[in-house]
Amino acid sequence: MKGSSRRKLIARTAIFAVLTSVGIFVLLPTFYLISFTLTQWTEIYTDVFVNPLIGDANWQQILRFSALSFRLSFVAVALDFLFGVPLAYFLARKRFFGKAFLEDIITLSLVIPTSGFGVATLLTWTGISGLGALIGKGIFEASYVIPFINVPFLMLIVHVALTFPYIVQTLQAKLEDLEPAFERASRTLGASAFTTFRKIIFPLSLPALLSGGVLAFARSLGETGATMVVASVHTTAPMAIVRWVSEFKLATASFLGFILIIVATVAILSVEFLTRRGGTFKIPKFFLAFRIEDKILKREKFLSGKSRWIKDIASLSAVAIVVVLPVIVVLASVGTYWSVDPDTGLFRGSVLYQLFGPPNYFNALMKATSTSFLVAAIATYIAACIAIPSVYLIERYRFGRILRYLLRIPLIVPTSALGLSVLLLWGPSGLRLAMPGIWLIIITHMVFSVPVVVESTIAGYEGSEIRMYENASRTLGATPYDAIETVSLPMLKRGIFAGVILSFTRSLGETGATFLVMGSDVTVPPLVVNMAEALAIPAALFASAYLIALSLLLLLLFRVVVRR
Amino acid sequence: MPDVKLVNVTKTFAKGRIVAVDHIDLHVRNGEYLTLLGPSGCGKTTTLRMIAGLIEPDEGMIYIGDKLVTGLPPEDRDIGYVFQQYALFPHMDVWDNVTYGPTVKAWIEEKRDRIGREMLEMVKLYDRSDAVPRELSGGMMQRVALARALAAGARLLLLDEPLGALDAKIRFELRYELRKLVNDLGLTAVHVTHDQGEAMAISDRIALMKKGKILQVGTPQELYMKPKHVFVANFIGESNFLEGYVVETDDRGCIIELRGGLIAHAIDKTRRKGERVVLAIRPETLSIEKGHKKVLNGLPGYIERFRFEGTDVRYEVTLKNEDTIVIVRPALMGEWINEGESVTARFSPDKSYLFTYPTAGLRRELALE
Repeated sequence: MKGSSRRKLIARTAIFAVLTSVGIFVLLPTFYLISFTLTQWTEIYTDVFVNPLIGDANWQQILRFSALSFRLSFVAVALDFLFGVPLAYFLARKRFFGKAFLEDIITLSLVIPTSGFGVATLLTWTGISGLGALIGKGIFEASYVIPFINVPFLMLIVHVALTFPYIVQTLQAKLEDLEPAFERASRTLGASAFTTFRKIIFPLSLPALLSGGVLAFARSLGETGATMVVASVHTTAPMAIVRWVSEFKLATASFLGFILIIVATVAILSVEFLTRRGGTFKIPKFFLAFRIEDKILKREKFLSGKSRWIKDIASLSAVAIVVVLPVIVVLASVGTYWSVDPDTGLFRGSVLYQLFGPPNYFNALMKATSTSFLVAAIATYIAACIAIPSVYLIERYRFGRILRYLLRIPLIVPTSALGLSVLLLWGPSGLRLAMPGIWLIIITHMVFSVPVVVESTIAGYEGSEIRMYENASRTLGATPYDAIETVSLPMLKRGIFAGVILSFTRSLGETGATFLVMGSDVTVPPLVVNMAEALAIPAALFASAYLIALSLLLLLLFRVVVRR
Repeated sequence: MPDVKLVNVTKTFAKGRIVAVDHIDLHVRNGEYLTLLGPSGCGKTTTLRMIAGLIEPDEGMIYIGDKLVTGLPPEDRDIGYVFQQYALFPHMDVWDNVTYGPTVKAWIEEKRDRIGREMLEMVKLYDRSDAVPRELSGGMMQRVALARALAAGARLLLLDEPLGALDAKIRFELRYELRKLVNDLGLTAVHVTHDQGEAMAISDRIALMKKGKILQVGTPQELYMKPKHVFVANFIGESNFLEGYVVETDDRGCIIELRGGLIAHAIDKTRRKGERVVLAIRPETLSIEKGHKKVLNGLPGYIERFRFEGTDVRYEVTLKNEDTIVIVRPALMGEWINEGESVTARFSPDKSYLFTYPTAGLRRELALE
């Protein structure tokens, strides 16, 4: 009796400690910007809408930058669907040589440090060592805007490259789960492959498509690192936050951040709510008028015929062009730029000169590397310590589901808004816990590191009937703690490792938030942006190649852990 | 009413390392109910899927009616396919499931509605048209699945363990319902199962498969009474197997010396003197008497174990030569004999079969996988 009440006390203390850490280090910073905006409303209102000097110019800017961001995200997600859906279907249903490699490429675009990838894309499309080598000059101007949809070209393809994996991975997982008998039944009843997709697979996988779409949309809305590099004269909303904070226009910046956080939160919560409720949807019958249905069926029959490989080829080529090509170009260009600028033939434009010559970027890069690794290691370690017990709370208690929804939010909130939130909360103008610098970076990265580890561990938890094994261990005489130590943790090992690697990689590549909280402790991704903005292209090139190579290494490690 | 012809059909998986179906020939006649029977992994479902076009054979040709269908996608083969797990679309109600075929084939509305109604009335579920699949019981779901397959206008019905996921009682009921339906509608049906009782009860003919090959095709009676293969004798019903040599042949049959010097007479006239053989005797054709008696085909031994099984009683008898045989007798006929008593097991020469001793060994030949 006494033992069990002591055990309860320990359990309660542990739960309290975990919830407190999650609250303070993850949820509070995520939502602080909202309360900050509301409590400082008069000040912000004055600054944004009725500024004595410039009137509502700030508001006009917010509108303009947000409009670009939303337009960009919508178009990017539309393209993601266009290429991602056939690709996911292809990966889920076919066994072929090189499948694992293709899946790696898709994972790569999730873990690649975005600023490095931005440099790669910039070089590929505007430089003469990329695609431009074919015609002797850059294919596009960096500022080229696609007419009609009014979206900058480079931004669009960078966003597609960085967001399509969300669609592919969620849909692929769902399709692999889906009973193949449904498809077979539909085919034997006389439906062509396309009709089967429209009437069976699509409605059944709609929840996955929606949540993949929201993740992609949120990522695109918040993307900073690559966007800054390829931005040229354009400005997106998250970029504006970074710029305004550096100009100390905190009020305007926090109002924009507030808008972004609200949009992202509403998007994810509504999709969660929609998809959790029923599991499947009844699609309204748009095509009930039989004549239209008839025509659609004929088209589908035609498309299911010999020409169906076209869509596979199209989506594979899209991946090759937006993801693989830039990576190859940037890695290869380090060679071309190594001792001489291929454009001008000058040594001053070479990698060697910029790294080791008077600009001495090599020192800066090494210093940034050690900062980056230190930050990633500490943030990931603390995050794992908080995340693993959190998974237990999520799986064991009724409030766990709420905790899980809340923990999804930091993953999709634009990181520059997150950085601003942390800065305002813990920084010099807030509670003064840390000055901008390495510790503030660590606190910022923890906000998304905890959810990353949680998600990955939960995936491991739900895939393996841990509850059953734990019960087995309890009936064999193990205490709850013994059961966790001897059964659950070893079974969760892979999920945890995978989460740790993902979190480490993400921390290593994070740009948007880091910009705001780093002070003088520069990490590698912001350094790359700075180099690109200072037009030190060879140095940026080298640093990007270096970052991408690092992420490839981590990806390899991830693969070893996940696939073993 | 189509017939189905498989000519030299082969399917391998894992780059040829696993031969699922090994050069089989099969002719399913018009209006016939044929069952592909065999242990799991014998290739029966693969065969069915190849007929449906869900997978393509590596070699060989498949004809439905007179049409060569190899290479044709499943939607163009005019078949009905019923799945073990029903595969009712979870996002559609019963009505939409049943009229799915007519809808995707763009039949006119009246025809679609008439057929949907007919089929649902036929399986007695018209009043459940608005239900979604998860509200139905297993038996109902399988009836809907059947109605759905038939509503698409198929004359050839392919059934993949259609009763496998159901409770025993419902399985028995649905078995006869299914058979009657196929008869009434005059369909051709190919049914896959591993349950020999089901196959015996439902089929016009059975094709028994093992390791990708068809061992024997015939009516249930033929397979039971005249098994051509020791595996068939064991898989259809039950058999005791005794090893021995032919020691003498004459115009009435042959005499076999079993292990331990026991002697048995058989009516098989095709055997040569000195041939190594397996004698198969069904447990229900053996009689049993107390004490050791010198009679024709009497095998002396004692009762190792006695089991009461309801309709039958079951004796395990250890023979003098240490072989064990099983004897099944109707429970309510004759008196029961206790464990440990000496007995003579007897069988009539025309109720036993001889097989050439398999080169791979008897145990290996009888193994299910």
